[in-house]
Amino acid sequence: MTGSSRLTHARQFGTVLGLVVLSGVLWALTPHFLTVPNLLNVAQQTSINAIVAVGMTFVIISGGIDLSVGSIVALSGVGLGAALQGGLGLPAALAIALGIGVTCGLVNGAIISWGGLPPFIVTLGMMSIVRGAALVFTEGRPVSGFDPLFRSVAAGQLGGVPAPVIATLAVYLVAHVVLTRTTFGRYVYAIGGNEEATRLAGVSVRFHKTMIYAVSGLASAMAAVILTARLNSAQPIAGMMYELDAIAATVIGGTSLMGGEGSLAGTLVGALIMGVLRNGLNLLGVSSFLQQIVIGAVIIGAVLVDTVLKRHRN
Amino acid sequence: MRKTTVVLVAALAASSLSCNRAAPETTDKPKVALVLKTLNHPFFVDMRRGAQEAADRLGVQLEVQAAEREIDVEKQMQIVENMIQTGIKALVITPSGSREIVSALVKAQTANVPIIIVDTRVDEKAAAEAGVHTETFVGSDNYEGGKLAGAHVVNVTGGKARVGILEGIPGHETGDSRLRGFRDAVKDAPGITVVASQPANWERDQGFNVFQNMLQAHPDIDTVFAASDLMALGAIEAIAAAGKTGRIKVVGFDALDDAKKAIAAGTMDASVAQFPSEMGKAAIESVVKAIRGEKLPASIMVKLEMVTKESLVRR
Repeated sequence: MTGSSRLTHARQFGTVLGLVVLSGVLWALTPHFLTVPNLLNVAQQTSINAIVAVGMTFVIISGGIDLSVGSIVALSGVGLGAALQGGLGLPAALAIALGIGVTCGLVNGAIISWGGLPPFIVTLGMMSIVRGAALVFTEGRPVSGFDPLFRSVAAGQLGGVPAPVIATLAVYLVAHVVLTRTTFGRYVYAIGGNEEATRLAGVSVRFHKTMIYAVSGLASAMAAVILTARLNSAQPIAGMMYELDAIAATVIGGTSLMGGEGSLAGTLVGALIMGVLRNGLNLLGVSSFLQQIVIGAVIIGAVLVDTVLKRHRN
Repeated sequence: MRKTTVVLVAALAASSLSCNRAAPETTDKPKVALVLKTLNHPFFVDMRRGAQEAADRLGVQLEVQAAEREIDVEKQMQIVENMIQTGIKALVITPSGSREIVSALVKAQTANVPIIIVDTRVDEKAAAEAGVHTETFVGSDNYEGGKLAGAHVVNVTGGKARVGILEGIPGHETGDSRLRGFRDAVKDAPGITVVASQPANWERDQGFNVFQNMLQAHPDIDTVFAASDLMALGAIEAIAAAGKTGRIKVVGFDALDDAKKAIAAGTMDASVAQFPSEMGKAAIESVVKAIRGEKLPASIMVKLEMVTKESLVRR
């Protein structure tokens, strides 16, 4: 085991411990927390942020940032909704939704790679462009009312486990294999660790960077499918601030904003911490204003713990 | 370092604990959830006050929750799911999305929680398709409110005006009804032309920007109808910035305190008053009846009133 991977493991342990302690505290405070229906609720409520955060993790490990994910959720969603209402059938509609996500991601990646612009600027611009496109396309109105087959994406169950939870686990499994067992995955870390060295080693950094943002667009589109099914409606104003939730889940999960290190397991636990926290604060009847303070404190606290941990290891 | 995590989480837990103690869970009072669109708008703060007063009087334990942002219907759905887990006896909700919220209401109904809708109606078709039954709707008729505003404009302009409209978020039943009412009221006055109509998404700063742009494009606008006072107040700032204060009549909706001040000062002409605290009160009274198993009317309408400089003086 290399030093850096031991560090990653120690960090993940800290994040998992945080989740366990948080759950324990909630269990002690309210009898409504540790029940099967409630935990399934938490899992379901976490699924959308967790899936968006998959893409965000790829991007952040590569040393970038993607602020356009929330807008991509909205545009993919309304594309999906319009296709379904146009009678295109589920497979074609899903292909359109995912296609929109990947296309937006490719545009992000291409401008960042070949235009040589900072990811923050490009995805900030795309956040606005894509949101505007969703509003123009729908004239600002939600597209709603879908058939039961599509709604089963959110409402369906397998052995009592809600479909979005199964979908989330499947996405994480596949993404984890891609990130840790493929050449592409290794390049994601390499680009984030030292982009120049990676380029000198003969890797097409531009191509791989573009693909990384396409992965993020794809993840956002998958989240859009679940969100649209869950609300039985595609809203052009959906997904606002999702980028911040996804960044939060990723950094709570121990991925460094400097790039080069991080893991999807950490991100999943990070997303769960946010979900459990929101759920628990609701159950306890904590006011929504206080909730924001607590969530903000947890984000800073988690990263603080990380930083201190890192300093001690070094 | 693990200790740091534990201490951190424990500290957070302790802070939630102290909040929790204010409302102990073991009580024979029925627990009712009031899920609002947001709590950072005076309208909903007033509604909460009215509901809380009624709850205290009638022996109801009220849990108030709201999403961080008014338009976040998915977060509102999460809140409903979470509140159902705490064994609430009734759900009072102001839907952030007329159609989208239906999925959450299905869950409440499945858990045998009676539902009372306040302020914004649920889309009837979507509710019928999902088989959702609501006990009653408490609110004011936004369409009638819009008509009231339109009639006022016809009245004070002598039936001759060039009107700019600031809309709420498109697709929201509340704003759409107000606009329909307004347009229906002015359409029979041939001298009244709506020269521009743009969404400013219920927000004050957007009301400023959108109206500033509108005024650039149509310098001849002499009357503004804003579907909410926050947007109207934004427009008033834009009018002041253009040096046109007093030359453009502004009619808003909600009669917020700031709007009343503007009306008294003469920078605003009028506003349609709703009574959100009355809505909150009526909602909780209905909850008590619903829990007792009493039958409720399909809707309970709360009065509307036109607030003008004269009406403020009369008070």
